[in-house]
Amino acid sequence: MRGELAPPATPQQRLHLNRCLARSNGVTLLARRLPKDPRALEDLLRTGQVRRAPALSPGGPRPLSTGIPRLDAALGGGLMRGQLHEIVAPPGAGGTALLRAALGVATQAGELCALIDPADAFDPRPRGIDLRRLLWARPEGPVQALRAAEIALEARFALVALDLADAGPKPRRPRGVIEVVRFEKKPPSPGASPWARLARRAEKHGGVLLLLGRAAQAGTFASATIELERGPSLWDGAAGAPGRLLRGVRAVGAVARHKRMPPSGPLPLHLPLEAP
Amino acid sequence: MPRIACLWVPDLPLCAALRVEPRLAEAPLAVVQAGDLGGRAHVLGATPQAFGVEAGQTLAEARAICPQLIHRQASPERERSAAQAALEAAAAVSPRVEETAPGLVHLDAGGLSALFGDDRGVARALVAAAERVGLRAAVGVAAGKSTALLAARAAAPDLTFEPTRHGIGGGAFRAVAPDEQAAFLAGLPLLALDLPDELQQTLRRFGLHTLGEVARLPPGPLAARLGPEGTVLWRLSRGEDGSALAPRPPPPRFEEGEELEWDAQSIEPLLFVWKALLDRLTQRLRARGLMARELSLQLRLGGASWDERTLDLAAPTREVGSLLQLLRLAVEGRPPAAGVTAIRLCAVPVPEVLDQLPLFGPRGASPTQLATAVARLVALMGPDRVGQPVAPDRWTPFAAEVARFAPPPPPEMPEPPPAGEVELVARALRPPRTAEVRCDAAGRPLLVIGEGALGGRVVASAGPWRTVAGWWTDAPVAIDSYDLEVAGGLLLRASRELSSGAWWIEAVYD
Repeated sequence: MRGELAPPATPQQRLHLNRCLARSNGVTLLARRLPKDPRALEDLLRTGQVRRAPALSPGGPRPLSTGIPRLDAALGGGLMRGQLHEIVAPPGAGGTALLRAALGVATQAGELCALIDPADAFDPRPRGIDLRRLLWARPEGPVQALRAAEIALEARFALVALDLADAGPKPRRPRGVIEVVRFEKKPPSPGASPWARLARRAEKHGGVLLLLGRAAQAGTFASATIELERGPSLWDGAAGAPGRLLRGVRAVGAVARHKRMPPSGPLPLHLPLEAP
Repeated sequence: MPRIACLWVPDLPLCAALRVEPRLAEAPLAVVQAGDLGGRAHVLGATPQAFGVEAGQTLAEARAICPQLIHRQASPERERSAAQAALEAAAAVSPRVEETAPGLVHLDAGGLSALFGDDRGVARALVAAAERVGLRAAVGVAAGKSTALLAARAAAPDLTFEPTRHGIGGGAFRAVAPDEQAAFLAGLPLLALDLPDELQQTLRRFGLHTLGEVARLPPGPLAARLGPEGTVLWRLSRGEDGSALAPRPPPPRFEEGEELEWDAQSIEPLLFVWKALLDRLTQRLRARGLMARELSLQLRLGGASWDERTLDLAAPTREVGSLLQLLRLAVEGRPPAAGVTAIRLCAVPVPEVLDQLPLFGPRGASPTQLATAVARLVALMGPDRVGQPVAPDRWTPFAAEVARFAPPPPPEMPEPPPAGEVELVARALRPPRTAEVRCDAAGRPLLVIGEGALGGRVVASAGPWRTVAGWWTDAPVAIDSYDLEVAGGLLLRASRELSSGAWWIEAVYD
């Protein structure tokens, strides 16, 4: 009958339904026994006490992981599809590492990803990313990079990583620092606010746009801003000794701004370096 | 007894024009053929709304009869496409088809009863197949080719004029059963045959007006008076068809063409024409359950030369939007040398491939969408800047190349991998930045002054690690590499070339 929920006929079907709900909803429904009466289940659905599985409904697909479970939890599950997320990190704080970790998790899960890399800085040697599922675009300048990100979002890539670490605006200097101003020709401007357009594209086509920069750029168009701070570097061996090695850095991350969640507390991160 | 069907498209120039502009089906439209050397244009066909306009009239006469008349020039490219569409419509019903003339197709209707029922069912299927590709057809089914053609012509008066989304419809058919054939032929006037005027006059002098009267004559005296043509006419009047069906496979390419009334010098007018051509091409492919595996674009330039280019489709498709964008990018990337006067699109078909939508998770990009996106990115940045990243098998530090992006199909049930430790990675500097490095007596770096404000006092360092490789090539690698932390927190990978002593900053850890 249309409009009514047919009860699961067999125990196997009930178990499968429970698994689907629990798997895609992110909550364990096995603890809550579903009523056998379909009308009672309909009432629960209507009042919101039991929700339909997001994967089975058109509105709520699973978020993508950043590769750091604590950061995923602070983001409310991960990088939400159809939204713009921003990573703001100074050099050496692990911004590129975080971008790369998100690409690695997504490509290994079978998702197609695009990396827009105007600085031509991507190194394909380290493992962790399924390179077959990664489209690498190296535009010339930020204007081309923004256009390339828009094209990739329109093509329904699951994750579009826009690396503007070397091409975006520099972080504001604190007061008292004298900056030498050079009279140089200004590069072409990407426009007043390309982020509104890119955020709309991400929402329309259901992809995650992950932006890496040295300073916040997307403003309120980003659904979440992840900030990283550099900690001390880690070295093995005595200074000047022949066997000394760089072992990594420590950093602190935090979700500084989120549209639907409170800011997170500091998340200490250890970023090891693979031996050369 | 064999059963032969005949699919005939009367007024082929008019049908071809209305396939291109279906909105004119309810307007007073005439298709005209321009005379040679600037002679008078003559009407080839007109819609029923052009009252009084008939084939053979000059354009001036037709305008005098119908002042609101809209006229279009006859186009060989359009008629060629329409004739091919008629052939495909027949091939959709029977695998054994023969194109006797443009717009006239004979096909083997034997053995189709399991699919379409009796002869009337076959004829009805042919009329519907023709309407799906925008053509109004008269169909005849009989025991031989000539009788089937006569049956199709006998059905022509029943044709109606019904505008459809793709052209015009309103086809008609006449099925002649084996036991009705003699009666059907006996009632046909001799004027229904394409006989020479001289023979028609001779027969009229003999007092013969119908095929039935010819059939009742003895064949010997008729042949003695009219020669071999008399024998052929006598056999035709008795339904004895001398010509057998010679089926030929339809061409493996689907073509749609259009001639322009002026030289197109920019991309915008071409886009309009491509859109219409692709609409018709994909409609024909859809009617046969096919998709395009390859698409080639032929442009006739001002000097009557042809410029041909082939689009590499990542996957079989019928998406007009994607194909249109690929065409645009192909022509913008390599513009034609002169103005375009005619366009032809050819599609190589393959059986339909349907995408299976995922049950869990969002719908990803289709192969065609991916190919279009890659083509757009290539048009934006150049071919060597877009693709799958590949680490080349050589010793050059931080070398990277791009390969063709061809992702494998997604896994059936993707499972997110367990989140591991996030590692510090290197941001390559391409090309490496030159640097001036001051070292102490032991050779340890103390100060880095690098290009692009990279540098500072060294607060920690590790290395060197020596790499000597490629000495058997013209570009040997012999370097000592260091990891440096400079004041301010920047972590650098620097190298010193052994032969020249020059320093480079190759990457920044981030």
